[in-house]
Amino acid sequence: MSKRAVDAVFQALFLLSDLRYLLRETAPRHDLDEAQKARAATTLEKVKRQIATLEEELIR
Amino acid sequence: MKCAVDIESRDVEEMYINIDPIQAGGRLTADAMKAAISFGDGYSVCDNCRNPPRLDYIKNPPIAQYHADLAAWLNMDTARVVPGARRGFQAVASTYVEKGDPVILTSLAHYTEFMAVEAAGGIPREIPKDELNHITPDAAAEKIEAVIREFSRTPPLLFVDHVDYQFGNVHDVAGIIKVAHQYDIPVLVNGAYTVGIMPVDGKALGADFVVGSGHKSMAAPAPSGVLATTNEHAERVFRTTQAKGDVTGRTFGLKEVEMMGCTLMGVTVVGMMASFPHVRERVQHWETELAHSQAVVDALLSIKGTKVLSDYPRQHTLTRIDTRESFDTVAQQHKKRGFFLSSDLKKRGITGVIPGSTRVWKFNTFGLTEKQIRHVGESFVEVARANGLNIV
Repeated sequence: MSKRAVDAVFQALFLLSDLRYLLRETAPRHDLDEAQKARAATTLEKVKRQIATLEEELIR
Repeated sequence: MKCAVDIESRDVEEMYINIDPIQAGGRLTADAMKAAISFGDGYSVCDNCRNPPRLDYIKNPPIAQYHADLAAWLNMDTARVVPGARRGFQAVASTYVEKGDPVILTSLAHYTEFMAVEAAGGIPREIPKDELNHITPDAAAEKIEAVIREFSRTPPLLFVDHVDYQFGNVHDVAGIIKVAHQYDIPVLVNGAYTVGIMPVDGKALGADFVVGSGHKSMAAPAPSGVLATTNEHAERVFRTTQAKGDVTGRTFGLKEVEMMGCTLMGVTVVGMMASFPHVRERVQHWETELAHSQAVVDALLSIKGTKVLSDYPRQHTLTRIDTRESFDTVAQQHKKRGFFLSSDLKKRGITGVIPGSTRVWKFNTFGLTEKQIRHVGESFVEVARANGLNIV
């Protein structure tokens, strides 16, 4: 059982949901302002960390 | 992109500004999306269901607390989540209406109110709207008197829509309830276009029942909704089962008959709960929503020949517009006929206007950002100008 992997899957999906919401807020052109870009960048970094955790837990 | 075999993913909200009249208030919050991911399995909220085994007693996730919070938020005494506003109508009609009873609703009532009355065996009678498309207390009084004369008894129930789905007009619900109560008629307020959209105070309205729609106005998955009532009516509409099996002798504890036991057992209730803090917050910004609605209506009215059929200035984000003397004149000559409008809007990233509509149609601006509102208003004007209509 890898609670860490399960948490990482959920956390990544939740973070991606935040990005999905950002796409909705900025539709149709998705021209992000500086604050939105910063938010997107932070979220993407967090997603990468969750992906790294999944790689460690599941395929290494 | 497909999300499953033969099922295309839906990316309407990500790709377009959606001004569909019925979809605006039901768009999920990010938290509701997360809840949907976590609680998608069928009976997902039942992991910690204990005694008594009923949805509104579950403490984890905090469904019991949510029920209490919902009632308090609507300033009513008790609330239950239901599978859509229509099931709230049905629960109340089934409780109060006997076969052959007249039931009063309005000429702007949603069809599901009629269905609820019909299912209970009642006979619908409509309060007519006035020339301004309003349901007034005077008209309600006249109709009640007429129905009493016709049936020789008082109707057991009256339905009134806080904001109607046809014009998005706000009606004098408090005044109508005051009249109905003079005849001891309980009143169900259909808040499908208000609960979760704008502030609603059930006690201030004098409502016996307030019904809201989760998927229409509370940023929740379908089918979901709320039925809230007062202590006076709660025992009756939320009565518990008395059924007993004649062979097994089984009884069913505290299950509520009109709720068919439990109602929303997974993603729907948790979606409502996840959006609730945002919904509670967003109704406080109703004035901003009205300003947005007004801005788009004014942009449309700048197109010569366009008329607004809803109240003006706007008191809601749902609006009925008449473009027979503007966009429809283009449709008469255009190779795409009436489809040119939705097509041109789609090219500008806007969807939700029924394809082919250029005569009388509706849209809803609820929940859009300032930037999106500007884009919608400018796009209507650009489409008009590009098709040779005059801007005034």
